[in-house]
Amino acid sequence: MGYGDVQMIDANGIRNDGRKAGDVRPISIELGVVPVADGSCRMRWGNNDVIAAIYGPMEAHPRKIQRQDRAVLDVRYNMAPFSTSDRIRPGFNRRSREISKVTAEALESVVMLELYPRSKIRVEIEIICAEAGTRCVGLTAASIALADAGIPMTDLIVSVASGKINDVVVCDLNKSEDNYGEADLPMGILPNTGELVFLQMDGDLSPDEFQEAWDYNMNAAMVIHEYCVEALKTGRYPQ
Amino acid sequence: MSIPLVPQLLRSHLKELADNDQRLDGRNQYQGRDLELEVNVLANAEGSARVRMGDTIVFAGVKFQTMTPYPDRPNEGGLMCMAEVRPVAGRQHEAGPPSAASIELSRVVDRGIRESGCIDTAGLCIIPGEKAWQVILDLFAVSDDGNLFDAFALAGIAALRNAVIPQEKFEIGEDTPLVVSKTPIMCSYQRVGGRFVFDASGREELGGDERIHITLGDDNHVHSLQKGLKGAFTATEFTELMAEARKKGDELRKMVHALEGGN
Repeated sequence: MGYGDVQMIDANGIRNDGRKAGDVRPISIELGVVPVADGSCRMRWGNNDVIAAIYGPMEAHPRKIQRQDRAVLDVRYNMAPFSTSDRIRPGFNRRSREISKVTAEALESVVMLELYPRSKIRVEIEIICAEAGTRCVGLTAASIALADAGIPMTDLIVSVASGKINDVVVCDLNKSEDNYGEADLPMGILPNTGELVFLQMDGDLSPDEFQEAWDYNMNAAMVIHEYCVEALKTGRYPQ
Repeated sequence: MSIPLVPQLLRSHLKELADNDQRLDGRNQYQGRDLELEVNVLANAEGSARVRMGDTIVFAGVKFQTMTPYPDRPNEGGLMCMAEVRPVAGRQHEAGPPSAASIELSRVVDRGIRESGCIDTAGLCIIPGEKAWQVILDLFAVSDDGNLFDAFALAGIAALRNAVIPQEKFEIGEDTPLVVSKTPIMCSYQRVGGRFVFDASGREELGGDERIHITLGDDNHVHSLQKGLKGAFTATEFTELMAEARKKGDELRKMVHALEGGN
C-alpha cells in the first residue's frame, strides 16, 4: 500500500481512531517512575509509552568531554526490543543516533548549562512501546524529567507532530496515519515564548497546508503544556 | 567502567545490623521487598509483564519471529532470552556493549526457564525442517536497586505465561496462547554482613559478598543454580537457602498463576 491507498479519514472528518482533525491522542504523565534516578517521567501518549530518566549533574569523564564554561548533555534515545510490531535488535542504529542528537540540541537550548561548568547531565529516553511520534514524546518527557530533577531551565519543551492524510491536514498522527500519510511535521515548541528548538519534516505540504499543520502544533503544544505543568505540580496527570 | 568504592563503613554497618538480626530497611533476613506484578502492560509485545520490588523496576516483553529449525533439531522451534541493563536503570550503568554482569544475568534467567522444560519447543514447529517459531524474551531494567535476577525471572515467566503466538500477523492461522506448562521461579540470596539474606537491595549488594541464585520448578525440582561473586559458603547454609527458596517459590508461583486466564 502507498500514498492515498488507505482511507484514514471519513466524509465527516472522523479519523480511524475516532478523533477529529485537530484532536490529540490521550496523554498521561507520571513523575518519579525511576526511583534511583535524580528525575524521571513516564509519558503515555496514545499507545506510546516512554520513560525518561535524568542522572546528574555529575562529574564529566573522561575529562576530554568536559567544557570549562558549561555542562555537557549526554542524551540517549533508545527503543526497547519489544516496543514495536517487529522486534528491534538491541543497540544503537542510525535512526536512534540522529534522534538522540537533535533531542540533545533541543534540550541544550533550554537547560541552563552554564550553571554547571565541567559537569555532565545524562538524559536517558527509553521507548517501551511505540505508536508514531516517539521522538516528540521522548523530547517532551525528557524536558519534564529535567524539571523533576530540579535542573534550571528557561522553559519546558512540548513536542508534537502534525501531518497530512488523504489530503487532510491533521494533528498528532497515529500509527497508520504515520505509515500511510503524506506528510509529517514534528516540532519542539517553547510554550512561554512560542519559539522552536526542534523541527523536522518529511513528505509533501502546500504552503497553506504547511501553515495549517504549524498552527495545529502550536495550539496542541499550549494544551499539552498545561498537562505538563499539572504533572510537575502534583506528580501526575490526569489526577 | 567505574568500579564502585565500597566504603568500609557500609560493610561494618551491615555487619553490625546482621549481628542484631536486622537489615538496612527493617526487613527480616528472608523477607522480600513489597512486590507488584502486572501482566499485559505493553501494547506491542505479544506477552508482557512489569515487576516492581521496592525501587527495582523491570519490564519483560515477548516477541515471536519465524526461524529455520536447526539442522539437528528439524522439528523444534527456539527460545531466546536477552537481558538489557541500560544506563536508564542507574548511574552505575554505562552505555556500550553488554557487560559481563548483564550477560550472566540473562544467561542465568534463560537457563531457569529453558531447563524447566516449560516451553515445548516441538510445539513451536510450523513446517518440519523449514519453519518454526522463535520465542524471544527481552528483559529490560528501568530502575536497578538490587536483585535484578529475581525481578527479571519473575517478569520473564509471567510475560511468557500470558503470551499469544501472533499467527494471524504471519498469516499462519489464528492467534493462539503460547503453551507454558510450568512456572519456574528464581530466588536469590546474597551474603550481607556475614549471613545470607533474600532479595538484597542495591546498598546491600554494594556492601555484600557472594550471591546464590536458585530456580525451582512447580514440583520443587531444581532447574538452575548459580553462585556469583567472591566468597565461600557451607553445605549447611545452602540447605537452609534451598528450604527457604521452596517456601518463597510457592508464594511467588501462586502470584503468577493468580494473574492468568485473561486471554
